[in-house]
Amino acid sequence: MKEKLDALLLEGTAEINAAASENELQVVKGKYLGKEGLVTVLMKEIPKLDVSLRPEMGKSVNQVKNALGELIDARREEIKNKAFAISPDFDCTVPGINPQIGGLHPITQMCYDLNDAFRSMGFEVFSGPEITSEYFAFDNLNFPPNHPARESMDTYWLQGHDSGEANEKLCLRPHLTGDSVRYMQTHKPPYRFVYPGRVYRNETTDARHERAFFQYEALIVDKDFTYTAGKVMIKSILSKVFGQDVPVRMRAGFFPFVEPGFEIDMGCLVCGGKGCSVCKHVGWIEIMPGGTPHPNVLRAAGVDPDEYTGFYVNIGLDRLVMMRYGVDDVRMFHSTDLRFLTQFK
Amino acid sequence: MKLSLNWIKDYVELPGDLTMSQLAFDLTMSTVEVEGVHDLKKQFDGIVTGVIEEVLPHPNADKLRVCKVDIGAEEIKEIVCGGSNLEAGMKVVVACPGAMVRWHGEGEPVEIKNTKLRGVASFGMICAAVEVGLADLFPTDDDHAIMDISYLDVKPGTNLADALGLDDMILEIDNKSMTNRPDLWGHYGIARELAALYDLPLKPIEKYVPETDTAYDVRILDEERCPRYIGAKIENLSVKASPFYMQSRLWRVGLRPINALVDITNYVMLAVGQPTHVFDSTHIIDHIEVRRAKDAEKLQLLNDKDIELCNDDLVIADKEGAVALAGVMGGAKDSVLPDTESVILEVANFNSHGVRRTALRYDNRTEASARYEKAIDPERCDQAVSLSMELFRELYPEMKVTAYSDCYPNKLVKKEIDVEFEWLDKRLGMRIPQDVVSKKLGSMGYEVTFTETGMHIVVPTWRSTGDVSIKADIMEEVARMYGYENFQPTSITTTFDGAINQLDVDLVRKIKEYLAFRCNMQEIFTYPWMTDTFVNALLPDTDNVFCLSTPPSPSEKYVRSTLLPNICKAIVKNERNFSEFAIFEEAKIFRSSEFNCIYDEKEALPYERRHLGCAFAGSPDNVTELFRTAKGVIGMMPRYTHMEEFTFKKVEKPYWADETVWLNIYLGEKKIGDLGLLSHKAKTDCGIKVVSAVLVEIDTEELVPFKSRTNRFVHIPEFPMNEYDLSFLVDSMTKWEEIYGAVMAKKSDDSLIRDVRFVDEYKGKQIPQGKKSVTIRLVIGSSDKTLTGEEIEAAAKSALKKLTKTLGAEIRS
Repeated sequence: MKEKLDALLLEGTAEINAAASENELQVVKGKYLGKEGLVTVLMKEIPKLDVSLRPEMGKSVNQVKNALGELIDARREEIKNKAFAISPDFDCTVPGINPQIGGLHPITQMCYDLNDAFRSMGFEVFSGPEITSEYFAFDNLNFPPNHPARESMDTYWLQGHDSGEANEKLCLRPHLTGDSVRYMQTHKPPYRFVYPGRVYRNETTDARHERAFFQYEALIVDKDFTYTAGKVMIKSILSKVFGQDVPVRMRAGFFPFVEPGFEIDMGCLVCGGKGCSVCKHVGWIEIMPGGTPHPNVLRAAGVDPDEYTGFYVNIGLDRLVMMRYGVDDVRMFHSTDLRFLTQFK
Repeated sequence: MKLSLNWIKDYVELPGDLTMSQLAFDLTMSTVEVEGVHDLKKQFDGIVTGVIEEVLPHPNADKLRVCKVDIGAEEIKEIVCGGSNLEAGMKVVVACPGAMVRWHGEGEPVEIKNTKLRGVASFGMICAAVEVGLADLFPTDDDHAIMDISYLDVKPGTNLADALGLDDMILEIDNKSMTNRPDLWGHYGIARELAALYDLPLKPIEKYVPETDTAYDVRILDEERCPRYIGAKIENLSVKASPFYMQSRLWRVGLRPINALVDITNYVMLAVGQPTHVFDSTHIIDHIEVRRAKDAEKLQLLNDKDIELCNDDLVIADKEGAVALAGVMGGAKDSVLPDTESVILEVANFNSHGVRRTALRYDNRTEASARYEKAIDPERCDQAVSLSMELFRELYPEMKVTAYSDCYPNKLVKKEIDVEFEWLDKRLGMRIPQDVVSKKLGSMGYEVTFTETGMHIVVPTWRSTGDVSIKADIMEEVARMYGYENFQPTSITTTFDGAINQLDVDLVRKIKEYLAFRCNMQEIFTYPWMTDTFVNALLPDTDNVFCLSTPPSPSEKYVRSTLLPNICKAIVKNERNFSEFAIFEEAKIFRSSEFNCIYDEKEALPYERRHLGCAFAGSPDNVTELFRTAKGVIGMMPRYTHMEEFTFKKVEKPYWADETVWLNIYLGEKKIGDLGLLSHKAKTDCGIKVVSAVLVEIDTEELVPFKSRTNRFVHIPEFPMNEYDLSFLVDSMTKWEEIYGAVMAKKSDDSLIRDVRFVDEYKGKQIPQGKKSVTIRLVIGSSDKTLTGEEIEAAAKSALKKLTKTLGAEIRS
């Protein structure tokens, strides 16, 4: 009987594995485990055996029965899975379906990157009016009365408001710096704020010059602030924006609203300072003017220049974005051309 | 501005071990930006002197010759040349193979190679002046003449730069970096900076002592515009070429030599930064006067430009009329002429603003006006006179000064500044030793007196015209001369008094990110001015619209009062490349009304608001979808950007919108924007050819951000909710709002209809005229139990009954 059992197990296993459909499997199941099945019949024969053999044989038959039962269940799962399997001609190289996503203007992106960097250092974001008086555009900022920038060739004056006293003359703001005075007049020192925005100059345009562009200014005003702390500030910001340590150098420069004034260069990231066409082979790229706010500017804002000093930078966002992406024509930014704008995800 | 290193060395002896790159770096860091350093000798690499031994005819060409030339090599070279003035014994310039020359002075430099010309081998090339870049120094009328240097006493094979003394370094300075430094616009000024940088002595320029007692009659009639005028009559002169060294120096820094008299004035200007002028003295009648021009007074300038003057112009005049535009340019009639034998030398100081206005008025900016505009100090006239006289004496040993006057009515006052050490140390972040401070300041011309707690400083005249006036200026002088790179970085300290919390700033960013990243829209930037075509198409009138005084173009004078014209312009631009797109812009709009003093009581600023403009452009067959997309994007904005909800109403049709397809956007009772389909007429007027567009404009300053997220948790329903779709026919004018209202109306608390949603509507084939088919989705469920199929059916039927009763809906068969 034992031999018979072993043979049944072997045959049964082979037939189960050979079953190609659930129906076939059902037939196999009936043949072995059904009411009249081969295993069932054996089971019925056990009582006829000698008493001493019964327990062991009973156990053996049950084992075979269970084993076949498990095999049948497993085979059934297998058959089912196979039936639902995807055809092997499925093509995994078809392109994915991309999410439909628009985009922010590349200058907005840079502006937000800088906002994040400055806000992590406790700066507020401020914005002032885009139409301003000559008084705030120039007088408050220590521009001498006959400074060339005041002449109409550089500034967009508004019709009907292009003559008279400085506080009556209105223009599209030629720079952001006037806004710093507005902020300081309405807040108490110490100050730590940025004021990004659009500015407008009446100029002839070409690949490097635009009539409308985006600036980003930051001002810190505090007691006993040295210019070398300003350098630390710039270095921190640039390193955060560019994701790597950026060498910074400050050299002599002149702007009416700062004293002393600096031209601030960053090490060329393209060549790592060795010199390349991007940096005109000097290893440095001029990215912003900056300096200590001129005492007259602080005075205009109602701050005592003997008590307070600080640091100011003016970042040309258009230039920075051009550098980030290798854009070679500044006029693209106002082109509204989606073939250009949608590239900056 | 270009500077010659050799010329600078006339005034300061630089250390022998100082490299050019170091010098350029030091100047850049401390004073002005050196944009480039040009080794003049390099451009003459491989270009040498030669002597023509023999000139032979070319076997195959009439116009060419074969020259046997000694260039100091072991053998005599044969060079084919077409020069018109070739002669045996002539000294010439030979470009050897490898040298760079410019063919006929045009195009980029090309490399000379050994070639055959018409079958005869030629070693290099015998050059014309223009081919080695020396046309200005060796002018000729004959285009075919080669450069003749027979007068030079040099051996064959000498490098041309050595032969002509052109071994020099040229520094290119960025003019923008020294607009505030009138003292640097000449070699002497830069030499003074270098002397201070390297602690070297600067050679003084001795003051000129007039050799005559006869006064020249100079009358200054406007002392404010002309603080000083020195006039000197010099005789026994002639018009001739200036010596080669002078010509060569002028040429190196970019000026063309003209004749000795003119060259002296240019040389002086480039040396000390002070413009001077010479008049032919026989043309100056009686005296010189400096006065305002009479209105409509006429003058022909040296460049033959005829101008009509006005009273704001300052002129140099004689008894009869204007002879020069002061500080800008001399007159054509009375300046140096071919037969000039005596001159009036003018060394004068003019007010910077006046010179600038005049130069701009006649679009006639010159080397002289550029310098005067920077505000030169009147004391510099002394240096200029002194150097001028020295040069006249050198070039014309027999010259005589027969009359001289120095009118200096408006003396310059030197600025005086007190600086406390405590203040200086604090601002610098360190203490610089007093002897260093005093030495550096001293070598830049400052007079320093130490007091117990600080110093009293007298600013030199050349820095007293506006450049240096306060103690911060002194701090800058000290810091830059000490070297900015020698200061250690210091950390920034701060006090923390709360996190930055700017809800308005955050809201604008959230809105932009919502539109871009959730709504598939692209942000654009446009100019703040609008183009007339779009203004006419979209605005009912231009009342209260600002105009620019000097617009970018005549059709772009209006300053934007709405974002939509520029957005429509962007649609025109993009419909060529895209059939479907959505764009937005967030920017300021302006009105020439509603002036308010927001920041300063003296400053009234006009209406200015931050707006958001959007356009959803797509196929005209799909207007419903465009509209629904726009409405969905705007409708969901408050939820996604955390601000107070707004509502859509139909109160006032926007001017540009279609008669039917438009809505107003309201926040509470206040209208804050519009949404609508661009009308066919406006679309056509804009020149939009294909797409239809739904436009949106919202005043974002009206939006109210939540202080924090306000969503409330709602329990998940305990028993299942069932969706049940119903399709029915209603009158085609029936609104969704009415359908929704009918189903949800008079709903008892235990009603099983939880919600009703719009699925679809359809008009057209199979639907009777005047009707539409609407599909809605009912959400049916109970809070007490799981509903049976019968109960769900019954609830749906009751909803349909309501629709039939109120709206005459018929179930679609």
